[in-house]
Formats: sequence, C-alpha cells, structure tokens
Amino acid sequence: MSNTAANSRSTFLSDALTWWTFFKISINERLVYRGDFIIGTLMRFLPTLTQIFLWWAIYDVISTEGTADSSGGPDGQIAGYRYGDMVAYYLMVTISRAFSSMPGLTSGIANQIRSGEVKKFLIQPVDMQGCLLMQRIAHKLVYYLMAAIPFAFVFYLCGDFFIDGWPEGERLVVFFASLVLAFALGFYLECTIGLIGFWFLEVTSLTFIYMLMNFLLSGHMFPLELLPEGPVNIRAIVEFLPFKYLAYFPAAVFLGKVEGAALYQGLAVELMWVVFFIVISRVLWFRGVKRYSGYGG
Amino acid sequence: MPIIEIKNLTKSYRVYQKQEGLGASIKGLFKREHKNVHAVKDISLEVEEGEFVAFLGPNGAGKTTTLKLLSGVINPDSGTCQVMGFTPWERKNEYRRRFSLVMGQKNQLWWDLPALESFRLNQHIYGVPKEDFDATRHELCDMLDVTRLLNQPVRELSLGERMKMELIAALLHKPDVLFLDEPTIGLDVIAQHKIQEFLKSYQQEQNNTILLTSHYMKDIEALCKRVVIIANGEIYHDGSLEEIVDKFSGDKVVTLQLAESVDQDALKDLPNVIEVTPPKIKFRVQREKVGAVLSGILNSHAVEDIVVEDPPLEEVISNAFSAAEAEGKPQ
Amino acid sequence: MSPSYLNVFLTFARNSLVRDMSFRMNFILQCIATMSWAAMNFGLFKIIYRHTESIGRGTGWFEDEFFIFLGTIWIINALIQTFFMANAEEFSELIRTGNLDFALLKPIDTQFLISFPRVNWAQLPNGVLGAILIIVSLRNLAADPNREIYISLWNIFPFLFYVMCGVLVMYSVMIVLAATSVWLGRNQNLYTFWFYITNFYRYPMEIYQRNGIGMALWATFTFVVPILVVSNVPARVLAQPMGKSWMNWEAGYAIVAAVGSLLVSRFIFKLALKSYRSASS
Repeated sequence: MSNTAANSRSTFLSDALTWWTFFKISINERLVYRGDFIIGTLMRFLPTLTQIFLWWAIYDVISTEGTADSSGGPDGQIAGYRYGDMVAYYLMVTISRAFSSMPGLTSGIANQIRSGEVKKFLIQPVDMQGCLLMQRIAHKLVYYLMAAIPFAFVFYLCGDFFIDGWPEGERLVVFFASLVLAFALGFYLECTIGLIGFWFLEVTSLTFIYMLMNFLLSGHMFPLELLPEGPVNIRAIVEFLPFKYLAYFPAAVFLGKVEGAALYQGLAVELMWVVFFIVISRVLWFRGVKRYSGYGG
Repeated sequence: MPIIEIKNLTKSYRVYQKQEGLGASIKGLFKREHKNVHAVKDISLEVEEGEFVAFLGPNGAGKTTTLKLLSGVINPDSGTCQVMGFTPWERKNEYRRRFSLVMGQKNQLWWDLPALESFRLNQHIYGVPKEDFDATRHELCDMLDVTRLLNQPVRELSLGERMKMELIAALLHKPDVLFLDEPTIGLDVIAQHKIQEFLKSYQQEQNNTILLTSHYMKDIEALCKRVVIIANGEIYHDGSLEEIVDKFSGDKVVTLQLAESVDQDALKDLPNVIEVTPPKIKFRVQREKVGAVLSGILNSHAVEDIVVEDPPLEEVISNAFSAAEAEGKPQ
Repeated sequence: MSPSYLNVFLTFARNSLVRDMSFRMNFILQCIATMSWAAMNFGLFKIIYRHTESIGRGTGWFEDEFFIFLGTIWIINALIQTFFMANAEEFSELIRTGNLDFALLKPIDTQFLISFPRVNWAQLPNGVLGAILIIVSLRNLAADPNREIYISLWNIFPFLFYVMCGVLVMYSVMIVLAATSVWLGRNQNLYTFWFYITNFYRYPMEIYQRNGIGMALWATFTFVVPILVVSNVPARVLAQPMGKSWMNWEAGYAIVAAVGSLLVSRFIFKLALKSYRSASS
C-alpha cells in the first residue's frame, strides 16, 4: 500500500519537474530574439492611437459644438458609449486580447500533425496539449513581466478616457476572472481548430476564417453594442457565441457595461464554453491519435 | 594566366554566444557576448583553366566559405581574388553569367513546380536564346537520363533525381567555371556514380574549370587530379592524390595467401593483423619495413600469393585531417 | 545575353498562377477571407454613418466620399498584397536562414529578383471590390443634386497614377522593413509591424490635424514615412470632398514621395546586402 503511495508521489514529482523544465525552456526560447520583443510590445498600441483620432472625428460631428465631456473630447453618445468610453473600450480590448490571443497555436499544431512531428508525443510520455499549455503560460508570463511597464505607461497617459474611473470590488474580481478564463478559452478553442488537422490537412484556411470571425465577433473591431438589432437581431446572435469572451466581455465588465447578476451569468457562460472546448479538444486528440496511428505515421 | 587567382584571402565570422540558464538569457536581452571564428585564414591559390580541383577537409575547415567567397556571396575581410578577371564580391552581372554554384544540401528549384519551369526561369534570367536553351537542355537531360521527369513537380522527385535537375539548372547557361559544394551528399551509390560519370565527361567535353568539395573519396578519386586539403581555414596540402597517399599513409596493407600446409597459428602473432580468413591473412606493415617483414615470412612459410596495397583512402585522408588539426591547435 | 526583365516577371506570374491553381481550396478560401475582411470594414462604417453624418467636422468626408476613400485603400492593399507582401516575407526569411545566396548568384538585379517571384493572385479580387465600391459611390454622388462633382478622364488617370505612386511608397516601406532582418534577426513581427504602421493611412488625414500630437503624427507620416499621401491623394482626386481641387501641393508631393522612397529603399537594400552574411553550412 505504502509502495504505491510513494510511487505515485514520485511520479507526480517527476511530472512536476518535467513541467518545470519545459516551462524554463519556453521562457528561454522567448528571450532569444530581443529586438523583436521590445518593439512588438510597443507596437500593440499604435492602432489605438489611430482610434483615438478617428473616434474624436466621428463624435465631433454629433457633439454640441464647444462642449466636452470629462475626457476632454466631444460629448455625445453612440450606442451608450461616450467618446471616452469608446477609447477606453479599445484600450481594454488590448488587455483582453493580450490574454486570449494565441498566435501560431493553431498553425503550429496543424503543422506538427502534417509534418509528422506529432509522433514524438505518441512515443514520449508527454502530453502535447499540456506541453503547449506550459509554453503558452510561460510566454504570456514573460510577456507581462517585460510589458508591464510600457502597458502601465500607456494607461497612465490615457487615464482621462476612463471617465468613470477604475472599477472596484466585485467588478474588479469578475474582471480578473474573465481574463483568466479568456486565456483558457482562447487556448482550447485554437487547440480544437488545430486538432482538426488530424482529419483535414489544409487547416490554414480554416484558421484564416476563424481569425476573421474572431476579429469581428469578439468585439475586437468595435463594441458589440453597435451591432444592429433589427430587422435581424444580429447582436443577440453574436452575443450567444463564445467569441465575445475573447475581447468584449472583460472590457465591458471593466467599463461597467455589465451590471449585477449579469456579471456572474456572463462568467458562468464563459466557464461553460471553456469546459466545452477542453472536452472537445481532448476528444479530438484521442480520436485523432488513434486515427493517425492507424495509418502507420 | 590562371583563371582563378586567390591571394591572402581572409574571412572571419562573429558568432554570438548563447549562455545557459535563465538569468543569462535575460542579460542577453541587453548585451550579447560574441567570439570571432576565423573561417578562412590568409589563403592563396591558383587554378588554371580546364582543371578539376577538389577541396578536401574536415567539417568547418573553410571549404564552403571559400566557395562562397569565390561566388561573391560573402565579402572577405582582406585579400584579393580574381576569377576570369572579375572580383567576385563586386557581383557584376557579366561575372555572374559565367559561373555557377551548386550546393548539395540546398536546392534552388521551385518546389511545387516541374523542373522544366525552373529551367525556363533560368533561361530568362541568364538571357539564353531559345535555340541554345533547347539544345543544351536536351543534351543535358539525355546525359543524365531525366527527360521523362521534366514535367513532374520537384517535390515528387527522389534526392538523386533532384540533384541531377539542380545540376542541369546550373549548366543551362554553359558556365566557364563551376563550383560544386558536396553535390553527392546523401545520395545512394548508384546516383553518386551517375553524377560522377556525368561530371567527368561534361568537363572533358566543355573544358571548363570545376572546383568540387566533397566528403566522398569516390568522388575525388574518380574526378580530380588535384586535391587541396583545407583545415582550420588554411591550405594544408595542395597536390595530387598520389602525393597525399605517400605523405600521409604510414602503413601498407599486405594480404598473404598461404599454402594449405602452413600452420596458421605460427603467423597469428604477427602484429597489426586486420583480418584472418584462411587461407588469407591481412595485416599492416610500416612502409619502410615491408621488405624486411615479407622476406622474413617468405623464408619461413610457403606463400602462394602476396598483395601489397595502400590503406583505404578514407583512412589516409583522415590521418591527414588529424595531422592538420593537431598542427592547427594552439600550442 | 542580358536578362529580359519582362520575361522573367511574366514567368514569375505564370508560375505563381499555376501553383495557386493547384492549391485551389486555399486560393478560394484566401479570396473569401480577404473579401470578408473588407466587407466587415465596410459594415463597421455603414453602422458608424448611421450615427454621424461625416467624419470630422467640416472635412467633407460624408458617407459616399468616405467609401471612395475606403475603396482606394482596398485597391492599394490588393496591389501590395498581390505583388509584394509574400515576397517581402520571403526575403526576410531568406536573410534569416542564409538562403539568400541563390539570389546573389544570378546575373540579374537582386532587388528585382526578390521582389517579384511570388504573385499572390488570391488578393486581387479585393481590389476589384474596391473598384466596385468606388464606382457605386461615385454614381451616388453624381446622382445627388446637392453635390457638385466632376468625373472625367481628368480624374481617372491621375487617380490611377497616384495609386501607382502610393503602391511604390508602400513597396519601399515594405522592403526597408524586410531588409532590417539583416540587423534585427528574426523579424517574426514583420507582418504585424506592417499592419500597425499602415493602420495610420486607413483614414482621411484630416482626423489628425486636430492637436499637437495629431499634427506630429500627420507630419511624421507625410514627411518621414509618407504613407498618408498614399491613400489621401488618390482618394481626394476622385472624391473631391467639399469640392476641393486636388491640384495642391500634396499631389505634387506624392510624386516626390514615391521617387524618394524608392531611392531610400534601394539604398537600404544595398546596405543590407553588404551586411548579409550567409549562415554557415
């Protein structure tokens, strides 16, 4: 009895050690290309700059000339968003996307399947998804460590756009929870698409389409409140899909666009989607591996 | 007037050190350590038109770097070089039109398209008139027996077939000088042989100048009269193959075929026995001692046949490399 | 025996088409993807114009005028994506892997050889969409009795000319970006960087002319990296917001910018080649 306990403890330890090593290696990998790294972080905010000017020009026309809201921009509302809100929204979406975007994950998996590299996961006692998850966590962590300062700087500069200030208490907690779930959702969703590579070789085209949908339906492009509700209630349809949790939901929570019970409802649905994609990706993995081995690699 | 003249050519690379560990990686974001690798050190060489020269040397010796310098792909740190009267790294179009570089480990043909399309592209890039192009193409494809493969996408060809296509692509414009970097690497014996035969007859026919680097002795033996051994970025030896064998093989290999009646055991305590397959015994003897040892054996045993030969070329060359490395190491 | 650049280009175009056709699914999906992207952009601004009548007070960029601007962007993007984007990425990759050697061996201008091999035909339909958008918007404008607009060959040819100038400027920026791989190592962010920078030229430049920072941006992207003239000049030629005459200094400047950027990119390209060091085999 005690033997198996000791055994399971030691395999847990060795597993943990393996994960830790993977983690370290992934961080190392990330730090290799330095020019890339520093520039990439600052680049993220360039589109926001354009947005600031574009929306000012848009609001300018509908505002009462000469008045300004507390952000210093023109007053007036579009779909419940004041000018400051609009800019703040785009800034917050950058944050949610920093958590939920998984560059290269889908194509990486598809390529590994197509090139046969995935075989090494079948031979070695290591789980591919777990590996990838570790890699992503490591990458994101390093990113935040290094990017925290430029991010903080940008947000300090843009403080005025946050007309209602920063959220407090439960809204803040829900916000952070939604970010973590956004990470999980983004990861398992992209895994799922990549794993389709076991059945269809040309997953790249699918990825394209996914990215497109992601851009539009996640709220990355504009706040979902702007979607028309008649004659077809497009907005309701889009809000039904999981994509909004990748960008829109955390931003909306932060800006107070989601209130009260809806906060927890939203979080719960987000959690459901995460679990859904975890399950699907596991199923696809095991089915795919069986099919793959059947072909003799 | 030699067609290739190299004088005191030198080239070093800066290689960045990647340190182990997390802390070092973070430091590496801000400052990187590097060291200089001297790929080619003060090389001087002359090649006459029509020669077929081999560059031989251990990995990292500087053979490929030398070829790249001669092709103008990289610039040297110092020294001069003239090929057909041109300085390669000026990359004049008149020069580039008259030579070719083929690298065995990399291919320049479009992967998804038939080789013929890549040939056509070269035709336009080199400005080869249509009749010349067609004639040369037919000739080369016949010589290498690949005409039936011309319309297959390159990715579907075997390694050997692909190499043949690469060679054809490089020869369509009838270059006067050809640089070959390990052209037969990774090929099976038959493919290697075919390419060797092709190169031999092609060179004799066209009388162009060819520089070849290779690890395969068969290539060298079959094709080149002159062998340049490069090690540690320097020329270690420049001469014929026989000279190298003489210089670097200390031993001879003797194979004796003994008469039935002789007792095998008596000969077992010969030093340096390689192989015993009765009635034959193969063993090594130092060159100078061959005569003495043989006469000793002949006096005491009945021998039916004697063969005295050089050790395998690979061994000789490997001795040469080791000697070169030893010399190159800092004292 | 000098190379025929036209023949080489035609061969490139033909080879790319053959290759694209053999991966038909991918081709179609790419077409759909780019056009969907354009459609989404269009949709967004259709929604925005429900809430506001023009972008920028007093700039003249009403809905139809703005859609002409948008169509111009699509056309320019389509041309860049079709002819140059894939090649710039490949160039960056060739530098990184040390495989640029083969390009250096050929007796033909190296910049030409790396700029044209891959023609991405799937991106061209988007340009057609842009042309359609422009035509429809022009029709709307012409039919509107409140607007005065003159459409003739005097607009169309300069429009095409300035689109070409714009393409040349964008090409130069792209080449300079790709060439930096020589010094900066892996430029995985090339496409992202490109997207971020070109984001600035997607909207009429009037939106920047508002405060200090805006003017600084306007000045940078007009005089340093002249991407604002790429879109604004041809769009203005056609859309004539507020009946503005396009014969102003910006039109002339667009030509200067095109030539200047080409020269700069050529210079940087040559510099990059000098620094290029092929990876050891």
